[in-house]
Amino acid sequence: MEWLNPYHLQVASFMLINAILGVSIYVTLSTGQLSLGNAGFMSIGAYTAALLSTQHHVPIPVGILAGSLLAGAAGILVGIPALRLSGVYLAIATLGFGEVLRAVLINWDSLTGGAVGVAAIPQMGRVILVWARDRGFSPESLGLQSNQFISLTVFLVLLLGTVLTVVFFLRLSRSRVGRAYAAIRLDESAASAAGIPITYYKVLAFSQGALLSGFAGALFAHSTSYVSPGDFTYHRAVEILVFAVFGGSEHIIGPVFGAAFLTVVPEALRSISGYRYILYGLLLVLVVIYRPQGVIDPALLRRLRRSGRETPA
Amino acid sequence: MSSLLSLRKVGKSFGGLSALSGITFDVRPGEIVGVIGPNGAGKTTLFNVVTAVFPPTAGEVAFDGERISGLPPHAITRRGITRTFQNIRLFSTMTLEENVMVGRHCRTGAGVWRGVLRTPGQRREERGIRGKTRELLDLVGLSGVDREMAAGSLPYGHQRRLEIARALAAEPRLLLLDEPVAGMNDAETQDVFGLIKRVQSLGVTILLIEHDMSLVMKACDRLVVFNFGRKIAEGTPEEIRDDPQVIEAYLGAVEGDADA
Repeated sequence: MEWLNPYHLQVASFMLINAILGVSIYVTLSTGQLSLGNAGFMSIGAYTAALLSTQHHVPIPVGILAGSLLAGAAGILVGIPALRLSGVYLAIATLGFGEVLRAVLINWDSLTGGAVGVAAIPQMGRVILVWARDRGFSPESLGLQSNQFISLTVFLVLLLGTVLTVVFFLRLSRSRVGRAYAAIRLDESAASAAGIPITYYKVLAFSQGALLSGFAGALFAHSTSYVSPGDFTYHRAVEILVFAVFGGSEHIIGPVFGAAFLTVVPEALRSISGYRYILYGLLLVLVVIYRPQGVIDPALLRRLRRSGRETPA
Repeated sequence: MSSLLSLRKVGKSFGGLSALSGITFDVRPGEIVGVIGPNGAGKTTLFNVVTAVFPPTAGEVAFDGERISGLPPHAITRRGITRTFQNIRLFSTMTLEENVMVGRHCRTGAGVWRGVLRTPGQRREERGIRGKTRELLDLVGLSGVDREMAAGSLPYGHQRRLEIARALAAEPRLLLLDEPVAGMNDAETQDVFGLIKRVQSLGVTILLIEHDMSLVMKACDRLVVFNFGRKIAEGTPEEIRDDPQVIEAYLGAVEGDADA
C-alpha cells in the first residue's frame, strides 16, 4: 500500500472540492447569471461548519448541512436584489458582496477569530478514524497507516459528495426545471412568454449555486481543519469562474473537468516551479482562443458517445 | 358577457412618445381577428401590452371578464394567452422537441425534488409532455422533421411553425400571431392559412397581425385597423376594404399622391 500517498490523496480531495465549486457556478450560469460571489458563499459554509464544530461541538454532518443551508439562504437574500443586474454588472456586484463578507470575517474578531481564522476544526478523516478505533477497527488490518487511512476517508467522503452533487444537477438539467433554466438563459422574454416565472427560477438557481458553494466550503473546513479569510479572496472567486470558462459551462461535465484539470496541472508541474503558472496562463489563453465555449461542450460529448457506441469495448 | 379579450381605452407611451392611445375593442370567443395597419402603427406594441412585456400606461385589459393588466407575463400565459414573435424567438440551441416542451411549463408542475428523484408521477408527467409535443409537432406539420435537431438550424418556415407549436403547448384560449407569414412564398402562406384554420377549429381564438392582405381578408372574421397608435376602423373584411379612412392610411390622401 506504499502507492497510497497522502499527498496525492490531498490533491485529489482538492480536485473534488473544486469540482463542487465548478458546479456551483455552472448552476447559476445555467440561467444566464454570472456570479462571482461564490467564494463569499463558500466562506459562509466554511465558517458556519467550523464554528459550530469548534465552539458548539455540533456533529460534522449537521454542521455541513447548516453551513450549506445558511449559504443557500444568503443566496436568496443576495439573489433577489441581483435580479435587477445582469452580465458584468452582476459579476461586479457579487464580487463586491464576497469582499464585504471577507471584511466582516476579518473584523468580527470575537466570532470569527479575525484575520487568523479558525483553527483545530475537527478533520473528518481523523474523526472517522477515532470512531472506527473505538469500535475495535484498526486501519493496519487493511494494510494502511493511520495517515493513509485518514486521507483516504476524506477522499471517499468528498467523492461521495461530488458524485451526489453531479447526479443531482445532471438530473435537474434534464427535468422541467432544467428546461426552464435553459430557456431563461437563451431568451428571457421568450421564456416568460412561454409561461416561465423568470424571477422564481433565477433566484432558485442563484441560491442553489450559493448552497453548493457553502457545501464545498463546509467540506473544505473539515478537510483542512483550518480556515481563514485568506481562503476566500477575490482570487478564489476568479478561480471558480475559470473552472467553468476552461472546462465549459454548457454541460455539467465541463466545470467538473475544468476544476479537476486545473487543480492537477499546477501540482503536476511542481518540478518546473517558477514556470508552471506561465504554462497555466498559456493554457487558459489557448482554450479561450481556440475553444471559447470551453474544452467540453455538448457537441463533443455527443461525438464521444457515438464513437463509444461504434467501437464496443 | 361574450367577449374573451376586451381592451378599454388602452394607452402606452414611452417617455413623451405615445405608441398607443385610447384603444378599445373586443375579441369574441372563437373568432379570428386581424390587426392591420402601416408599419409603426402600434400593432406589436398592442401585443406587448396584452402579454405584459410592458404594462399599459392607461386603460385596462381584461381576459375572460377579469382584469389582466398588471399581471406578470407568465401569469398571463397561464390564464390562457400565448403569442409568437414578429422576429422569431425560438430557443435556438435547444432541439425542436425541447422548444415545445418548454411551452408546456405552465401546464405541468414537477419541481426540483420530483425532477431529481424521478418519481413515478414526474415520469408520467414527462411522458405526457412528450406525447403532447409529438401531437403538436404533427399539428403544425413538423412530424417529418428530426425532433432532435437544433431549432436554430431549421429552415425559416419551419421555425415559424415551431413557434406556433410552442405557443399552443400552453393550451391557450387566445393565440396572438405576429406576422406568421412574413417572408413566406404563396405556397407556404397557404399552408399557414390552413394551420390557422385548424387551430381555430380546436377552439382557440386568434388575434392576428399580418401585412399579407389576401391572407387577412380570407382568414379573419373581423379586422381592427391601426394608424399612428390609434384605432381608425373596425369591422368585417368587406367593410374595411371600402373604408375611406383605411384606404387613406394605406395609400395616402389623394392630395398627398404627388409626394409619395
